[in-house]
Amino acid sequence: MEKKRMGKLQKIWITLKNNAQLRIGLLLLIILLLIAVFGPVFAPYNPKRLNDDLLAAPCAKYLFGTDKLGHDVFSQILCGAATSLKIGFIAAMISAVIGVIFGGVAGFFGGVIDQIFSEIMNIFLMLPTFFLILLIIATFGSSMLNVMIVIGLTSWVGNARLMRAQAKAIKERTFIKSSIAMGESKFSILVRHVIPNGIFPIIANTTMNISGAILTEAGLSFLGLGDPNVISWGQIITAGKGDLPKAWWISTFPGIMTIFTVLTFFLIGEGLNRVLSPKMDAKK
Amino acid sequence: MKRYLFKRILTGILVVAFSVMFNFAIIRLAPGNPTRRLAGKDNPNPATIAALTEKYGLDKPIAEQFVLYVKQLLHGDLGYSYVSTAKVSDLIKSRVAPTLMIALTGAIFGLVIGTLLGVFAARKRGRKIDTFLCSISYLFDSTPSFWLGLMMILLFSSVLDWFPTSGMYSLRVNAVGFARFLDLLKHMALPVTTLVLIDIPYYFRIARSSVLQTMSEDFIMTLRATGMSERKIFNKYVMRNAIIPTVTVFGITLAYMITGVAMIEIIFAWPGMGRLMLESITNRDYPTLSAIYLLLSTSVAVMMIVVDIVYAWIDPRIRVE
Repeated sequence: MEKKRMGKLQKIWITLKNNAQLRIGLLLLIILLLIAVFGPVFAPYNPKRLNDDLLAAPCAKYLFGTDKLGHDVFSQILCGAATSLKIGFIAAMISAVIGVIFGGVAGFFGGVIDQIFSEIMNIFLMLPTFFLILLIIATFGSSMLNVMIVIGLTSWVGNARLMRAQAKAIKERTFIKSSIAMGESKFSILVRHVIPNGIFPIIANTTMNISGAILTEAGLSFLGLGDPNVISWGQIITAGKGDLPKAWWISTFPGIMTIFTVLTFFLIGEGLNRVLSPKMDAKK
Repeated sequence: MKRYLFKRILTGILVVAFSVMFNFAIIRLAPGNPTRRLAGKDNPNPATIAALTEKYGLDKPIAEQFVLYVKQLLHGDLGYSYVSTAKVSDLIKSRVAPTLMIALTGAIFGLVIGTLLGVFAARKRGRKIDTFLCSISYLFDSTPSFWLGLMMILLFSSVLDWFPTSGMYSLRVNAVGFARFLDLLKHMALPVTTLVLIDIPYYFRIARSSVLQTMSEDFIMTLRATGMSERKIFNKYVMRNAIIPTVTVFGITLAYMITGVAMIEIIFAWPGMGRLMLESITNRDYPTLSAIYLLLSTSVAVMMIVVDIVYAWIDPRIRVE
């Protein structure tokens, strides 16, 4: 038992050793999670507090300076980490769940269902997603919940296509055929065998979607469509836009944090993809 | 091929139909009463409200309104802006040229530079320069375009003072002829550079991975075995196959052109569609927003079909299927 566990750990270790993207990505992720969880505890000021020094340059007192209302930018960034991560994770999860169910059903059941579902996917694929999100948020309000749901609802097609291909391939395999022969219900086969066996590419894609969602949220905030009740990096960047020439620090730091976060999930996604298709790696 | 094309066109029509319905719904479901907005006062005269309601047909049953809406669309009438009461189609027409100017320039530069770098990196695969280019491409891929724009202003306008921060022409100089053109180029430099930097990673990654993909195919191995020169293999066989995905991406970029550079336009106060979008969002000008959306989704649907045709034209394998 002990030996078997060691084997698994060793396998993970070797994978990490050969896969720089995954290694760096996971390291960055740990740092990010630490910031998101403990950031508010370590923030030197209440991020919403209006300090007396307006537009103060970065110094020992205000690490990343203050904005024109006297908010401490460093504290705001620490507290904004959780917002970005939350939006990224939840939006990507929504899109993963919809994608897996939609694609799984289409690929597994095939026939007319597949045709209809594929057509719906084709339509969604042709929709200009960002503008659609923007239009919906502008109309129905920019609460964080709305933002997450709308991003999730518009970004599932990639997942659905992956899952559909997986389900189509997996349903031809012997263990599925024997389950059918044993009389297991189709729904149960789909949920218990097809989806778990085909989920890996969706995990990789979902990691990429987290990046996409974070960038989308930043873009929405920039257009004035961020949730006014939460602190997000996109909103700090936008707030600093007007003071850019004389106070570069307000917009610069949250932007760097956004890049860092998006990069983290890109790297993990790429790394997972490389684990998935070692063929591209073989020559290296 | 004909059947495939027919199917694609059908999907395109469905997309446009969906967008029309969606647009209709969103204007009706939008919170707040547009007539109150148009009346423009805190306590509008009920007579004004009634007149406006009638003018925009908002008092008729929903089904009738929808028929009216579709009829208008078929006549090319995208409705009136709630804010300026100008025709939305006129608003868009006046803004689209500046947008296309930077979007097209940026897309072409991005395509050429990105693809060249991608092919170069693929040929140097695994070497230091490849790793370096890949890392840089990750970095720019993760950068929000508007933030990059801000940083460009900070560096090249505020610190170095090489380029103007915003607008299309210098307001105080009334240059004509070639001087005016130079002025325009100067104003275009920063937005276009930002756009190119944001676009390069896409083309880079696609070119690099499709070249690598093609080079690992069996037929390349066969060609090598025949003793054909590496250069000929590359120019004649690898490139031809590897360029196909790039065509798709470029086609889709063209489709998104009218709004795709909105963020960058806003940062540089470029008088294009981006500004119109921002103004419509801040004023909650739903007719304008939804008209832009409709235009965009139609253009995407059409472009995707065009891309499919081009695809079949360069890749006979698809035609045969």
